[in-house]
Amino acid sequence: MGRPPAPRPQLRRDSIDGENHGECPCDYNQAAVRAGGGSKVSESVISVSELTRRFGATTALASVTLSMPRGAVYGLVGANGAGKTTLIKHLLGLLRAESGSVRVFGLDPVTDPVGVLSRIGYLSEENDLPGWMRVDELIRYSRAFYPAWDDGYADELRQTFALDPTARITNLSKGQKARAGLLLALAHRPELLVLDEPSSGLDPIVRRDILAAVIRTIADEGRTVLFSSHLLEEVEQVADHVTMIHNGKIVLSAPLDAIRESHRAGQRVPSLAEIFIALVGMAAAPAREA
Amino acid sequence: MRSPALAIAWEFRQRHRWGLIALAGYLVVLAAVKLLIPGPSLTFSMDSAERFGVVVMGPLATTFLYVLTVFSFGLSGDVAGRSSMYPARMFTLPVSTTGLTLWPMLYGSAAMAILWLATRFLAVWPPGFDIPVIWPALAAVSLLAWTQALTWMPYGLPGLRVIVAVLWLGVMDSIVLVALQYKAPEPVMLAILAPQIPVAYVAARFAVARARRGDVPDWRRPLARLGPVAEVLPRRRDHFPSPERAQAWFEWRRHGRSLPALVGILLPFELALLWLARDAPAFVFEILFLALITPPLMAAFTAWTVSRPNPQVRDSYGVSPFIATRPLTSADLIAAKLKMAMWSTLAAWLLVLVAMPLALEWSGTWSVVTERARRMNDAIGTPRAATVVLLILAGFIVATWKQLVQSLHIGLTGREWIVKGSALLTLTLLILVGPIVEWIIDSPGVQRAVWNELPLILAGLVGLKMSAAAWIATRLDRNRLLGDRALVAGAACWCVAVLALYGVLVWFFSTPFVARYLLALIAILAAPLARLSAAPLALAWNRHR
Repeated sequence: MGRPPAPRPQLRRDSIDGENHGECPCDYNQAAVRAGGGSKVSESVISVSELTRRFGATTALASVTLSMPRGAVYGLVGANGAGKTTLIKHLLGLLRAESGSVRVFGLDPVTDPVGVLSRIGYLSEENDLPGWMRVDELIRYSRAFYPAWDDGYADELRQTFALDPTARITNLSKGQKARAGLLLALAHRPELLVLDEPSSGLDPIVRRDILAAVIRTIADEGRTVLFSSHLLEEVEQVADHVTMIHNGKIVLSAPLDAIRESHRAGQRVPSLAEIFIALVGMAAAPAREA
Repeated sequence: MRSPALAIAWEFRQRHRWGLIALAGYLVVLAAVKLLIPGPSLTFSMDSAERFGVVVMGPLATTFLYVLTVFSFGLSGDVAGRSSMYPARMFTLPVSTTGLTLWPMLYGSAAMAILWLATRFLAVWPPGFDIPVIWPALAAVSLLAWTQALTWMPYGLPGLRVIVAVLWLGVMDSIVLVALQYKAPEPVMLAILAPQIPVAYVAARFAVARARRGDVPDWRRPLARLGPVAEVLPRRRDHFPSPERAQAWFEWRRHGRSLPALVGILLPFELALLWLARDAPAFVFEILFLALITPPLMAAFTAWTVSRPNPQVRDSYGVSPFIATRPLTSADLIAAKLKMAMWSTLAAWLLVLVAMPLALEWSGTWSVVTERARRMNDAIGTPRAATVVLLILAGFIVATWKQLVQSLHIGLTGREWIVKGSALLTLTLLILVGPIVEWIIDSPGVQRAVWNELPLILAGLVGLKMSAAAWIATRLDRNRLLGDRALVAGAACWCVAVLALYGVLVWFFSTPFVARYLLALIAILAAPLARLSAAPLALAWNRHR
């Protein structure tokens, strides 16, 4: 269900939308256009500069520089262990930048966690909601942290996700827990929605029908979505902009349509998976959705 | 490593290598003391049960407790949970249930027996003591076997494991103590203890088999039928006025009820002893003292879970993303824990203060207490007597709260090496403190030196504490974890607490034999400052790795 291809955008090397540090095997850097819209970029919601992170001898992130303007859907793709979650953890302040800098809404998430986290909706890959709480208690507890919490929207989401308010979190299935986590991430209408591997918890119906619709609505309202996934088809369906990460390095970061157009072979537009394999090789390619 | 038995042994060795090395070091020290100090000059005059307990039994119990915890997998499990404490990851190994049960029990039994034999032959025992060799080893092994069986068993209700284990192990210990009381010969002791080991093994195998097939009984259903009743009861459905209040509620629900629950379980058993003490006034006060130290003692146990950043995840020391992404500062998260500790302490003490007079009244021992109170009244006057009682009570309450929060700065760092290193250090101190105190008591020269240098020692400790506090305050300020106003307000509160404590000490010890500056130094050392202030720093270090 891909969107119709946009007119081939003008690709520029002196883009302001991100960089790829010479490791990118493609022949462009970032485009200063928004995919699908073609409008000029606004201020950056996320700004990462020369971020490097090592865990022992392993380099999880190597001089990553990235900028994400407001009001688009960003897909962060890469194989398992590529560095997607590490990057997201830096954006949330759960990891401190060893070198380089991270700014979200222009703030440092480590020194100003309240200023940053109150404007972010986050769905964790780890699904670590407190099991002893009931769904209604979880909602009551969470709403206290977000001044913009929308009770009506939260209730609507709860009904859409078929969550029993009296059910204990520990008794919910993995998918139901992911839905509860998504409810908490969405109900305060965050300026930035961060979804870390939502495919690992949500069932296909929620993913394809509900999540995709929610993401598009958020983007249309001028808010920003960043979601990581190793399922490239999923990313293709909703993302305006794709950042491919491999071995801690950004190998490609550009509007999705621009990526497709630049890899077009005659009339045939290659899929994201094909492009990824072409860039990093078959061995490192993320999984295709079953 | 092709054998499951070797693999299980390797895991025990690898996981607890530092603890086991420390244990081996302790035995080497015991041997060195025995070898280096010749017999006649060894003048440990352990003429009382208390001294013997402090010097020999304290370290012995500590080391045995450690081995017991290691081989029952008690260091990584949830003792209050319903599920078995046997690690679930091992259930998927291609090893028979018999193997899964037998090898940890065998290794544990061997470790217990070796520890006892080493202690028996290497430690310096008081002269005139005929220390048996075989049956204490067997007693230790059976205690371990029962602990393993009881901790690996799945239970129908949360907390039931603690109650069953305390009661069952208490009964087993009582049998041994009764046999000793009647001076049972060694063969009788062996006959009592030896059969318990195979029975405990059968129970443990049943427990592991049950846990392995996921058969965890759920006896909460009868309680769930009370759900409609609970719905009728008033329940808070209004919104939290602030994020801080929401977080305090979270902490209370997560940790706050543990201490009152533990105190509530133990208190009836302790106070029931009052019915046996009607004719022994001294025993009444011992029971009351036991009831009074229960909250601080239990707080020391519950503090371990309070200071764990992620109690939901076993073997995890990091903060869970759910908590780490709360839009609250690390200082606010700590403040919620401190508030919870306060409410938990007050709830536990409310139980004590309500149960104690009721038990005294119903057991007919109230008159013993009133008689003692009357004598105290006559001796020092009503206002002074009332103030003394209130101060003692306040001291117990503050000690309970302090126990709950003083290890936050360790647990919240999320660094395994700090948490385990601290536990090891505490165990080492527990082992060493008895002999050191005994040595000081037995050496008048040392006592004189300590007394003469006491002001210097105290001043050094105060200097250390204040330097640590200054460093922590600087870090809190530099990392913007606390604002200037909060730092100044905290410092002012601490100064007020020190002054109040100093005033109480001066009033209490109004004697020319104790210098005022010594009391001031004691007040400074007693008021919590550095460790408490370090908690936000520890959490921030863990939260933003």
